[in-house]
Amino acid sequence: MSVAVELRHISKRFPGVIANKDVSMSVETGTVHALVGENGAGKSTVMKILYGMQRPDSGEILVNGTAVHFKNPNDAIDASIGMVHQHFMLADNFTVLENVILGSEPKHGITIDFAAARKKVVEMAAQYGLDIDPDVLVEELGVGQRQRVEILKVLYRGARILIFDEPTAVLVPQEVDDLFNALKGLRAQGMAIIFISHKLDEVLRVADDVTVVRAGSTVAEVKSKDVTARQLAELMVGSELPQPTTHGDTRRPEITLALKDVSIPTKSGSRDLISKVTFNLHAGEVVGIAGVEGNGQAELVEAIMGLREYTGVIEFSGQDMNHLSVAHRRDLGIGLIPEDRQRQAMMMESPLWENRILGHQRGKPVMNGFVLDKKTTIVDTKAIMEEFDVRAPGPQTLAAALSGGNQQKFIVGREMSKAPSLLVASHPTRGVDVGAQGAIWEELRRAREKGMAIVLISADLEELIGMSDRLLVMLRGAITAELDPAKTTPEQLGSAMTGAA
Amino acid sequence: MKTKALKFLRYATMLVFVLTVIRQITGASDLTSVGTASAALLLSVPIVLAGLGGLFSERSGVVNIGLEGMMVMGAWAGGMIGTKHGPWIGLIAAIIFGAVGALVHAIATITFGVDHVVSGVAINIIAMGLVRYLSTILYKSGAWQGPSQSPDVNSIGTNSLPILSGGQYFGWKSPDLLGSLAEKHWFFISDIAAILRGITGDLSYVTVIAMAMVPLSLFVLWKTAFGLRLRSAGEAPIAAESLGVNVYAMKYAGVLISGALAGLGGGFLAIVAANHYQENQVAGRGYIGLAALLFGNYRPGGILMGAGLFGFADALQLRDSASVHALILLIVVVLLALVVRDVRKGKIIKAGATFIFAGLSLWYFLAVKELPGQLVTMTPYIATLLIMSLASQRLRMPAADGIPYRRGGLR
Repeated sequence: MSVAVELRHISKRFPGVIANKDVSMSVETGTVHALVGENGAGKSTVMKILYGMQRPDSGEILVNGTAVHFKNPNDAIDASIGMVHQHFMLADNFTVLENVILGSEPKHGITIDFAAARKKVVEMAAQYGLDIDPDVLVEELGVGQRQRVEILKVLYRGARILIFDEPTAVLVPQEVDDLFNALKGLRAQGMAIIFISHKLDEVLRVADDVTVVRAGSTVAEVKSKDVTARQLAELMVGSELPQPTTHGDTRRPEITLALKDVSIPTKSGSRDLISKVTFNLHAGEVVGIAGVEGNGQAELVEAIMGLREYTGVIEFSGQDMNHLSVAHRRDLGIGLIPEDRQRQAMMMESPLWENRILGHQRGKPVMNGFVLDKKTTIVDTKAIMEEFDVRAPGPQTLAAALSGGNQQKFIVGREMSKAPSLLVASHPTRGVDVGAQGAIWEELRRAREKGMAIVLISADLEELIGMSDRLLVMLRGAITAELDPAKTTPEQLGSAMTGAA
Repeated sequence: MKTKALKFLRYATMLVFVLTVIRQITGASDLTSVGTASAALLLSVPIVLAGLGGLFSERSGVVNIGLEGMMVMGAWAGGMIGTKHGPWIGLIAAIIFGAVGALVHAIATITFGVDHVVSGVAINIIAMGLVRYLSTILYKSGAWQGPSQSPDVNSIGTNSLPILSGGQYFGWKSPDLLGSLAEKHWFFISDIAAILRGITGDLSYVTVIAMAMVPLSLFVLWKTAFGLRLRSAGEAPIAAESLGVNVYAMKYAGVLISGALAGLGGGFLAIVAANHYQENQVAGRGYIGLAALLFGNYRPGGILMGAGLFGFADALQLRDSASVHALILLIVVVLLALVVRDVRKGKIIKAGATFIFAGLSLWYFLAVKELPGQLVTMTPYIATLLIMSLASQRLRMPAADGIPYRRGGLR
């Protein structure tokens, strides 16, 4: 087998960040080569360089043994490299055929030779098992079919080296199977396929070789049959995987939060959204709320925060909070990590220092009397970013420019900055990479040891079992079981959540 | 394609038949006269050109409110240059001036990312101020008789479709079959003949050229690679860029073609529809062109229909206010047709509302013998409004229309 693409010591820096320090990889024809790494490790930048969208600061690209210098994607296309983008680049109001031929239309005099184009596309679709009707509008297609159009687009341009940028992120399992079958077909035709992903089980299913990048450098190149998902993950993170664990009993005698018969009736009078929830939470204790999503966890959070009307009593450090506003509750020392960070915790199009203000708009360090103290806020934002390892150029960076993990670390840092005595954490590590996950767990552990009480809601059962001192199972709005995490396996917890046990 | 043409012919015949019946009932003979059809064509040409201008611009993703200003520049240039160098050079000047206005819009919106509506409105205001200023200079220098009107421009020749509509060909006088048929007063047949005679007889060459732009636009935008790329810039510019399409160039091309067509429309107003430039000659036709574009759902055939309807209403209003009154009866018929369609589709509430509206229109038709003059003048605009409200329900604008585009959006 021959080498289709070789990258040698690629480096690329952007203002304020080094995206690639030293990336090397070599892809053979007729193989699927996976490029894995955490979010922000520099996978996408390497591929943009290979596809001519960006130019490397140093390093070499060799295609079929010859050195190339791409100025734009057209050069890459000419060198038979094709990219299937993660976010589809399709015109919805064009037909499949129009989308495929755009930019390299077969001509017949001055008109487009639609008949020839259609024939070629249909033949190609049949050859690679990408069955599709060329005359249907793209807007009528499902996600899996749109991806086929993207693949046809690059094949139509004669690509022999195909880059797939996180292709499974938008697919349902059935469509993933179809895609992998198509990939195998392409591999059999002698194509070289570069498959970017951070889903390791998928990588091991489909790839022949794996290159791991971490912090902008290649750290390993291995055969997929020689490694396990766990080994790959450890290569990605650069150390042993973080474990959701806590050490010892830090529970203190005083009760931070007490709920007595808390219910949220519905307007229609049917089954309560949550019914008669009662529990006590001590300082230095983590209580995990387990449950299939939509069983009242979100409503429970809203009741504790005062975002929703409820009946019953919620006490904070012995004080009845029933008639307190959200602002008042937060001032007492309650922090919240909401479940949907982009919609509930951040203004995506605003800089980080403005995001730092959210929920802390009363009093120091944000306010100085009646005036917003921008200078101090920025200094304070910088401090949070350093302490919680938020990787971004600075407090002026827009929230939208951060990866999910960094956004979440920033939110955790913001809530911790006031040292609340109660933290309501809703899915604190959902959708973040392994590194950020470990960092957030570490923060929660430290806060717990200092006596913070934590209500932890999560869909990650290992996280729940590892981090909680006590587990409450919610089913249809009611607490149906209390479990000791030390004696509970994820399987047992899962069946308790569905009411099977 | 063939079935579409047949469908269009069927609807057109039905419409003429309804008009004939209404003419018979009300005695408003101008509804289907040669003169009305001919005037309707003349009045719709600038709207068609403006609409096609909007089409090229918006298909490439640039909203062009500035069409009005570009038409004003075209009309002024047509009058100014046409007076000195003859009508044909005047028309070419009109095209160039329209394109210059468009170039300003293109630089502002495409290169500098200015909001499209802001830039368009600015161009309208600047164009009007500029031509007024230049006209005043010409008046002061003694070249023009007044600051709001240019001297007369020689007219451009006309001709007719041979054999059917008469006309002169190399000294040979062609028979005028449709014309003579129209004078027979045979029910329906004479009406069709009159309308055909109106739109094929005594045509200015410019009208023929302008009308040829409709199929030409269809061909360019949907059959050539250039057209596909131009439309891709308006639908998915980032995707287009990733496939090597020069999105900026496509947008510039779209906007410049847009301005050239609008300028030609302005020049037509000054040189063909009138025989001199006059202030406020354009009178909102750029906006009406945009309305026709929306009515036509961003397609050339639809623009032609929208412009035709406006031209017809405008012609009636200019020629004979009695027929405008008869037009209300046409509205009643159209509304009743909509009622039938909605009932068939099971939309009872909508059908009921439409039916009540039809009843009110009929009552108004019977109760009022003659419409107030202001209302008559408003007819084409009311027609535009009505058409828009009926048409806008199935609107499909280019997906990236009006969104400023930056190269490197790929990142």
